[in-house]
Amino acid sequence: MDVIKINVNKQMDGYSFSITPSIRDFIKKLFPNAHPANNIFVGYDTKSDFEIYIAKLENHIYPALLGVDNESDLNQFDEIQFIDTQTGNILHKVTPRDEKI
Amino acid sequence: MSEFLMLGWNVAIPEVDIGDDIFVVQDDNGTLRRVQVKTSTSTARKDRFSGQFSLSVKNLRNISNILVHYIFLVRHNDEWSKPAIIRQDYLLDHFENNKVGAEAKGNITFYFSYVKGTVECSGQNFTTYIKDFTDFPKIEH
Repeated sequence: MDVIKINVNKQMDGYSFSITPSIRDFIKKLFPNAHPANNIFVGYDTKSDFEIYIAKLENHIYPALLGVDNESDLNQFDEIQFIDTQTGNILHKVTPRDEKI
Repeated sequence: MSEFLMLGWNVAIPEVDIGDDIFVVQDDNGTLRRVQVKTSTSTARKDRFSGQFSLSVKNLRNISNILVHYIFLVRHNDEWSKPAIIRQDYLLDHFENNKVGAEAKGNITFYFSYVKGTVECSGQNFTTYIKDFTDFPKIEH
C-alpha cells in the first residue's frame, strides 16, 4: 500500500496534524467503518507531558487521525510519514506492523 | 458577506490584516470560519471567460485547527461570477496531488476557466465548488 502522509503544521501554541481529503476518501473506501478526522491539534505542553509519561505522541496520533483502531487494519499500511507542511521534511516515520502501541 | 448573513451567520472583519478577510461566526455557539476572498478581472474568450488568482504557498500549507475557506470571484461583464468556495485542505490536495495551479516565487497562480456555468482549473472540474455552502448551513434564528 502507498505511503500515508500526515501533514504536521507547527503553530504558535502547538501542532496541527492533518490528512488531505484524498487520503480520507482512500481510508473510507478501504475501511468503510473508519472515521478519519480532518485534523488533530495538540499543544506543545500536552505533547511534551505525554511523551514524558506515556510514549511518542505520533504513534497515538495516526490511529486517531485515520479513524482506524483495529490493529490488523493498521498493519495494512506500509508506512506512515509525518511531514512538515512548510519545509516538506519528514519529521517521523512509522511502520504500524513494527510498532506496539 | 451578504450571502453569509442571508444564511444566518454573522460576519466580522479583522481589525488587523494578517491574511483572513472575514470571520464568519455562528452567534449562538461561537463556531468560527475563516474566509479569504480572492477576486479577479476576467479575460473574455469566444464562449468562455477566465480569471486568475494568486495565493501564497506558505498560507495554503499553513493548516491550523480552523481551516480557511477560499472564495473565488471573477468580475465579468459588470457582474460577479457565482462564488467558488473551496476549503483550504481541498485546495492544497488539488495543488499537491492533482497538479492544479502553477507555483513560482512562493506563490501559486490558479487559472479558473468558466464555460456555460461550469468551472475548470488546470483540467480539474471545479463546478462542484460553485456556491458550495456545505460548511455554512442555514441557521434559523
